Amino acid sequence: MSETVHSTRDDHRIAWLTALAISIHIAESALPSPLPGVKPGLANVVTVIALIHYGWSTAAWVALLRVLVGSIVIGTFLSPTFALSLAGAVASVAVLRLASWAPVGLFGPVGYSLLAALAHMAAQFWTAYWLFIPHEALLHLFPLLMSAAVIFGTVSGVIALLTLKGLRAGASP
Amino acid sequence: MTRADWLVLLLAIALLPVLYTKYWGAGGPADRARIAANGQAPLEIPLSRNQQLHIHGPLGDSVLEVKDGRARFLSSPCPGQQCVHSGWLARAGDLAACLPNGITLSLQGARPRFDSINF
Repeated sequence: MSETVHSTRDDHRIAWLTALAISIHIAESALPSPLPGVKPGLANVVTVIALIHYGWSTAAWVALLRVLVGSIVIGTFLSPTFALSLAGAVASVAVLRLASWAPVGLFGPVGYSLLAALAHMAAQFWTAYWLFIPHEALLHLFPLLMSAAVIFGTVSGVIALLTLKGLRAGASP
Repeated sequence: MTRADWLVLLLAIALLPVLYTKYWGAGGPADRARIAANGQAPLEIPLSRNQQLHIHGPLGDSVLEVKDGRARFLSSPCPGQQCVHSGWLARAGDLAACLPNGITLSLQGARPRFDSINF
């Protein structure tokens, strides 16, 4: 007796996009970071493009699977780092859910990316504060981390914007 | 970029100065100094009264000074003198330590925090 797993087109699409996001995630994890918690978050670009092209549920799958598989590959699965990434990803996916209820065309990639980056950083920070280092000195890092989130969220958004332009130009003959 | 994108960006940038003033502004005011020495129960003293304390450690006596709501290591018999060079502590959460002499001095604010952290 054999069982066949039927996968849909959506599954394949999610798998491809997640693979891309994981590659970026892993490449980025090799970069040195000036402060714990600060990194460009370029995998966010893939989430934003998935959101705009295929809708929120694809984007949510890609973001959450990326954190899960990325952590297994890097070796941080179930470590504090993983808890922080997961909290960030869940928060950014939740914020994108709210933002994607807005009328189509209200937010562009930059808006989505910024909202996601801010939510990710804020959730990550407060998780770190409540769970791991409940010391007031940690609060001094919060403005710096949020500044980084604004900068990198905007940069990721602009990259997503340019990528989407390229995709549209490539799609239309 | 859409108008909403610009709005999000402007709001995000406007948020940053608020965060910096909130989290980088003066830390909570301190009203007590907590002095912990090796093998002795921690001592809490109010910052409202100016005084000098001689705290005994393995190397000898460290002199701590409380003055005008601030506290510092005035002198210590340790070789490195890092504790003395930490200078005046004024805000809640500030901390100076003399590890060779086993003495830490930290300022406490009105808001109780936590007893210890375990990892």
